[in-house]
Amino acid sequence: MRKCLLRSIALLTGALVVSTLGYAQTYEGPGGQTRDRRGLPTAASPTANLPFDPHDLSGVWMGLQNRNTLSRTPPPMTPWAQARYNAAKPGIGPRAQPLGNDPIMTCDPIGYPRLAFYNDYPMEMVATKDRLIEFFDFFYVHRTIWMDGRELPKDPEPTWYGYSVGHWDGNTLVVNVTGFNDQSWLDNDGHPHSDQMKLEERFTRVDHDTMQSKMTLTDPAAYTTPWVSDIEVWKLSPKQTMREDLCAPSDEAKYKDEVRDPAAAKK
Amino acid sequence: MRSKLAVIFVLAAVCLAASGTLFAHHGSGVSYDMTKMMTHEGVVTEFQWRNPHVYVLYDVKDDQGNVVNWGAETHAPVVCENQDNWSKDTLKPGDKITISVFPSKIGTPRGLLAKIVLNGKVIIDDTSRGRQPGQ
Amino acid sequence: MSSTILLALVVVFSGIASGQAAQEQGGGQGQRRGRAQTPSPTANLPFDAHDFNGVWIGRGPFNTLSDKPPAMTPWAQARYDAAKPGIGPRAQPLGNDPMMACDPIGYPRIAFYNAYPMEFVQTKDRLIQFFDFFYVHRTIWLDGRSLPADPEPTWYGYSVGHWDGNTLVVETTGFNDESWLDNDGHPHSDQMKLEERFTRTNHDTIEARMTLTDPKAYTAPWVSDVTTWRLTPKQAMREDLCAPSDEGKYKDEMREPAASKK
Repeated sequence: MRKCLLRSIALLTGALVVSTLGYAQTYEGPGGQTRDRRGLPTAASPTANLPFDPHDLSGVWMGLQNRNTLSRTPPPMTPWAQARYNAAKPGIGPRAQPLGNDPIMTCDPIGYPRLAFYNDYPMEMVATKDRLIEFFDFFYVHRTIWMDGRELPKDPEPTWYGYSVGHWDGNTLVVNVTGFNDQSWLDNDGHPHSDQMKLEERFTRVDHDTMQSKMTLTDPAAYTTPWVSDIEVWKLSPKQTMREDLCAPSDEAKYKDEVRDPAAAKK
Repeated sequence: MRSKLAVIFVLAAVCLAASGTLFAHHGSGVSYDMTKMMTHEGVVTEFQWRNPHVYVLYDVKDDQGNVVNWGAETHAPVVCENQDNWSKDTLKPGDKITISVFPSKIGTPRGLLAKIVLNGKVIIDDTSRGRQPGQ
Repeated sequence: MSSTILLALVVVFSGIASGQAAQEQGGGQGQRRGRAQTPSPTANLPFDAHDFNGVWIGRGPFNTLSDKPPAMTPWAQARYDAAKPGIGPRAQPLGNDPMMACDPIGYPRIAFYNAYPMEFVQTKDRLIQFFDFFYVHRTIWLDGRSLPADPEPTWYGYSVGHWDGNTLVVETTGFNDESWLDNDGHPHSDQMKLEERFTRTNHDTIEARMTLTDPKAYTAPWVSDVTTWRLTPKQAMREDLCAPSDEGKYKDEMREPAASKK
């Protein structure tokens, strides 16, 4: 009996070990280094310790993992925001439903900061004398972070991606953003934002290959307190090219008719 | 004075391509009778400062006292900005306007914006887009 | 209503505006007729012909490359016949122009919207061309790379540029065939290749011309008219994105009620 039990335990343990080994298989992640399934590097990156200029953020970067939203703990919503949230029907995340009403499914601009959560798509920073341009592969859009000392506009035009100005605070780039419309979802969960939203982001290049970022959202029309995000980690990915991943309504419609709707519902 | 010349050149360039042809890529241009003009006293219900075209919805009382909601469209925001100094705040719900349009050929309450007077001031005048019958 | 007549009216209107401008200045310019080019006060400043940085606004072809399209192949003719533009000589009230649904407008069609601002941002390895209209960009690689041999089909193509004296020669390949070539509804295939030549002729001016080669669609190369881009430093780029929900709202509230009774 005991021998049988021990053998069972050994078998179970063996099975567990085998399956763990399967989980621990590696792949080549951003920056060229091998990573395990959780995205963590399994060995030191060969270029991580090269000298670098912390005031140089240029290059193609990829985030370690996609996120749905700023953090797991949204602040309480105002009644206006709660109504918007209740009306939003996402296609992914904890409230996912088969069809939903996510405006990006018809190629509405995804907006900022939602675009920044899609960080397993490459992002490229290009610096010139007066600006830092952040290009996003996903939706193939850009935003301009003005580095020429200008102030945020007092009465900005409402836009999908906001108006951004940046300045250096030591080795941290502080980016302030205003001038949002309220048409895009804040995140993939369907949280809203109003046109009062302001962001403060902080980007710090911590080694040759690594940049960390964090944002604080303030939107009194939607959230009763500021919302501080988790830290995002970006890895320099020179082998990665930017693709033209535009959203085309005719392609989306074709996909919807041929794949998504038939999968979700019988006609 | 010199910068004014440069601005006028820019306006001319924008106006040239924008007011006639750019707005019309949606096919709306062919829907309006450019030989007629209708003028109403209206109260703004909605001001759409967005692409593809800026438009204003406004309530008009007809002869029987019924309220009809009209709509008048004009250029894209960039053109309204450059040509008429418009902004997102130019009109808002509740504003009383005297508004002239080239009306829809089929008699629906829609038109191409010709002119708006707000608080005694002309804030846009595109009446020159009209033409004589037979032109 | 003929869009051509409307366009002509607008030409006259802007000609009058230019003429008024010249008159206001008094002195040297005198009255000008038609689509006059008002002289720029900064045109004769020194300039670097290899520097395109700045915001530019253009004058040039709008409907299409030129008024002499080459003969179309049967494939292209079928596409052309199926296209229903909202403007130009074949305009109809509603039409099926894919840009009305916010499909990417594509290249070179975006270049015909030259009355909207365009910004060149030039770095060591690339020239980025930003378009206010549709708020898109294309990258012209200046780092000496060759065109890809087997490119991914894209809406805006893959572009490389090199200097031929003071002319930037830009070659583009890697197009898909989904966008209209122009505002008239001419097609292009995924075989299309473009060669563009950009020359900064004075401080304020870049002249541009393109040659299109697309044997699947056109039986001969198509050389465009010249577009003249004028430096406009006071002009800011707007975020003129095309949003389907905004297009839908405009369609429901303005365009369709104007065109048809429900």
